[in-house]
Amino acid sequence: METHFSEKESLELITRMISSAKNNLQKGMGSIFLLWGYLVAVISLAIFLLMLFLPHETKYHSYMLWSLMAIGGPLHYRLVKKMEAQNLVKTYIDKIMDYVWIAFSVSMVTVIAGMIIQAILVLPAFTDVEPGHEFLRWFPWTFVTPVMLCLYGFALFVSGKAYQFKPLVTGGVICWIATAFLIIFFHHPHLLKIQQLVLFICAVAGFVIPGHLLRKKENSHV
Amino acid sequence: MYNDLDPLLHSQLRLAIMSILVSADEADFVFIREKTGATAGNLSVQLEKLKEAGYLEIRKSFKGNYPCTTCKITPPGIKAFEQYVTTLQDYIKPGQS
Repeated sequence: METHFSEKESLELITRMISSAKNNLQKGMGSIFLLWGYLVAVISLAIFLLMLFLPHETKYHSYMLWSLMAIGGPLHYRLVKKMEAQNLVKTYIDKIMDYVWIAFSVSMVTVIAGMIIQAILVLPAFTDVEPGHEFLRWFPWTFVTPVMLCLYGFALFVSGKAYQFKPLVTGGVICWIATAFLIIFFHHPHLLKIQQLVLFICAVAGFVIPGHLLRKKENSHV
Repeated sequence: MYNDLDPLLHSQLRLAIMSILVSADEADFVFIREKTGATAGNLSVQLEKLKEAGYLEIRKSFKGNYPCTTCKITPPGIKAFEQYVTTLQDYIKPGQS
């Protein structure tokens, strides 16, 4: 096809082709949001309930349930492979969003790994605590949830704005409000329980609901 | 009249290919075929011409058990496209249409 055409037709063709690639919503994105959203929602709700009903000596063992997040890894890998096979184009927005979520994951892993290393290696050696300062042993753990929620807010807000998908932006704003709420009520005697409940609400608002809406939108684009 | 326009880009299918690739990081052969409405044979020929000019890279791989051809625009390709659009804008300056 070597037909030549006018400058007007030329510009129309460029505009049409650019917008056809630009408005392409990645198929399978909703499933990834649902995977992590449901995992966090179920685990945080389970921990909240266990902390309500378990005796004081054992209730903090319920935090071990977070290790179940590891099952998300292989499932995530499978979903990404499926997504790569389904999607025929990768826009610059998709590429940048990949980096945003990689940065988000690295930030999360850094915080959690740091806390675990501190608990296993540093804390046992940390014996000579001044009387009245025993709280230093568990105090850093109370920061994990607000830090995580703040990171959720950041990644969700950026994704929502990049893909022009409002439910993600709303989810991000809810996570930021939740972060502020948890910091303001830091002194509350039931803080750890409240944190799990807030985490559950944020997982539903930031991942589960937008995930279902994304799936609906993806299917309507077929 | 169109002497200044890059002849390689001033063809409907090749311009369509370049427009898609300039807005996407990379695109599959099937995606380009669907969007341009071209036949597979014609598309292959035009992609090859653009590749020979150094305007794009073509990578052949497998997605599961299926072969796939992925196209990506190169920096010289972006430069040529930008030059093409600039020249086009000069033609469409007010009073000339």
